[in-house]
Amino acid sequence: MTAVSQTATPPRPASAGDAVPMVSIRGVGKSFGTNEVLRDIDLTVDRSEVVCLIGPSGSGKSTLLRCINFLEVYDRGEIRIEGKLVGYTDDAQRRRLSNRDLRDLRRNVGMVFQQFNLWPHMTALENVAEALVQVRGMDKAAASAHAGRMLDRVGLAAKADSYPARLSGGQQQRVAIARVIAMEPHLMLFDEPTSALDPELVGEVLQVMRDLAADGMTMVVVTHEMGFAANVADKVAFLDRGRIAAFGTPREVFHEATEPRVQQFLQTYHERNSF
Amino acid sequence: MLDFALFVQYGPALLRGFGVTILCWGAGCLIGMALGFVLMLLRQVPVKPLRWIIRAYIEVIRGTPFLIQLFLLYSGGPSFGLRLEATTAGILGLGLYGSAYFAEIFRAGYQAVPKGQVEAALSLGMSYGAILRRVIVPAMLVSTIPAIVNMMAILTKETVVLSIITVPELMYEMQTMAAETFATFETILGMALFYWLLVEVVSRLGRRLEARVTRFLTHASPQGSSTETATARA
Amino acid sequence: MKFSVIIDALPYLLGAAVTTIWVSLLGVLLGQVIGVAVCVARQSGGRAADIAGGVYVSFFRGVPLLIQLLLIYYMLPLIGIDVPPLVASIAALGLASGAYVSEIYRGALNAVPHGQSEAALALGFPGRSIWARILLPQAFRISVPALVNELILLLKASSLISVVGVAELTRTSQTISASNFRPLEIYLAAGLIYLAINGALALFGTLVERRLQQA
Repeated sequence: MTAVSQTATPPRPASAGDAVPMVSIRGVGKSFGTNEVLRDIDLTVDRSEVVCLIGPSGSGKSTLLRCINFLEVYDRGEIRIEGKLVGYTDDAQRRRLSNRDLRDLRRNVGMVFQQFNLWPHMTALENVAEALVQVRGMDKAAASAHAGRMLDRVGLAAKADSYPARLSGGQQQRVAIARVIAMEPHLMLFDEPTSALDPELVGEVLQVMRDLAADGMTMVVVTHEMGFAANVADKVAFLDRGRIAAFGTPREVFHEATEPRVQQFLQTYHERNSF
Repeated sequence: MLDFALFVQYGPALLRGFGVTILCWGAGCLIGMALGFVLMLLRQVPVKPLRWIIRAYIEVIRGTPFLIQLFLLYSGGPSFGLRLEATTAGILGLGLYGSAYFAEIFRAGYQAVPKGQVEAALSLGMSYGAILRRVIVPAMLVSTIPAIVNMMAILTKETVVLSIITVPELMYEMQTMAAETFATFETILGMALFYWLLVEVVSRLGRRLEARVTRFLTHASPQGSSTETATARA
Repeated sequence: MKFSVIIDALPYLLGAAVTTIWVSLLGVLLGQVIGVAVCVARQSGGRAADIAGGVYVSFFRGVPLLIQLLLIYYMLPLIGIDVPPLVASIAALGLASGAYVSEIYRGALNAVPHGQSEAALALGFPGRSIWARILLPQAFRISVPALVNELILLLKASSLISVVGVAELTRTSQTISASNFRPLEIYLAAGLIYLAINGALALFGTLVERRLQQA
């Protein structure tokens, strides 16, 4: 298995020095009308780190994740990826970035969705090859060959010519992951990647994610899979009502957190998942 | 008595008329779809006055009889310097008429494209043009093809109205034949049967096309044809 | 553009619009009767009735209305019924509308749960009462929006009866513009009148629909 490329050294602002974190979130807030969905979020993700965002539904974890690649617009604070401000010009005016500039940013940030979001009119191979042609400008043959290798990586070489409708949910999600890693992103965002899957299909997707983590991919994962968070994550952030209520290593959050909200959440989780 | 031998005698003229019918229909459909697509895209632009103008255009076309639109274009045109030959006016009229309906069909299709499919493309860094071409339009095609085929069947029927502004299409030739031979009833009956068949053929071809275009959507459960072509009217 | 032309013609155009409206209304009413009859016949009249109804629906939906109109206009005298163009036109509009209406009702009937007729059967209702008391009232309610739409469609389609010489709005516009050589103004005015009537009808349809939803 080839390690996901860390070859392209990203441009860094000179002042930031050597230790520019992959993702740096400072004082981020977002409101829908009078409803504050994110308040004063601070979070740092280092290179090759896996950070899981957990918490009750409606706590803002998916919104936060979607702000990182600006699918969701944040109002306050700043999010930086490899030192570059996300979504706005990095000056006093703070204008919204043009679509072209957003594209440049998103190229290096892959996203895996709860609903897979494969394009139903393309085969698995075409789904993976599409962005290579459209965004990376590869020729069709090279893109197909590369896409084939990526499908092989997620164990789906045999399904290259299948349309999404003929694949199981787990297989579709693995194709979606192949579609992202083909672009050799520096960072991958996962938005509840296993929540739409039948229980028996969750394992295969988590395995692919474990392999990615082992290869050194930087990942931010919104998940309800506490086992994955406990075993794979380097850091866990517990969100509640738009705030980070607890943050630390899995051990710190799961076993040592004193926040009543966290304990209550974990309690409910354990009750629901034990016989 | 009924004398269908007349149809043989007038064969060449009828064939020519049929050619004009197909020309008007094909060109009208193409113009209608192209213009309808542009209108749909322009409606996405967040400029209120532009949206109102397009909305008004669509409502006017859909709220008035096709025949009145044709008269306005063909007879009224010269008053504002637009002097068109009957066939040109017919094609343009058919295209403008179709564009309002196609614009609505495409708008519904655009709105029905799952948001996640566009987000996935955005998150991969694809440009809006590429997303439109590679993700949105194919998805739209799938969801709108029954309505598109239906509209094409409607336009097939509307071509006969062009005879009223003297476009020399099939209906016009048949009326000429009826007038010259006094076999009015046979001619009209023959015409009715012919158009019945023609619309049926268009609908059937449409259903086959639909099955082809949507074949990749079928998984274990068969997804039947959702078209009931030629059911609705414009 | 000369607006005075429109002002002068307006009384005639509005008078013709009244003809357009009541011809369309009669057409819709006739269409209702035919449509319901065909629908009921197809559902409960056995195989032959279903096939005959199917052919009727297919023919009148597949053949352009202009041809239907001419067919009826020239056919009625042939079978010994000599009627004025106005009557032939209303008959044609009604027959065409009936084909669509029968399909509207079929769809609406399909939306009435099957268990309701079974319940009525179990209570010993005769077939006729099931139709009259259970099915048609519900089908009517479901199909009201479609029927208002039907009136709008027929109003536009009625412009075609100008070809057999009925002096409705389109025909009158033709006559006037042929005499004053102002086709642009006259057809524009006619178009606006059609638009106004259809707009009012659409509004009426929305109101009726809202009323029915509340009931």
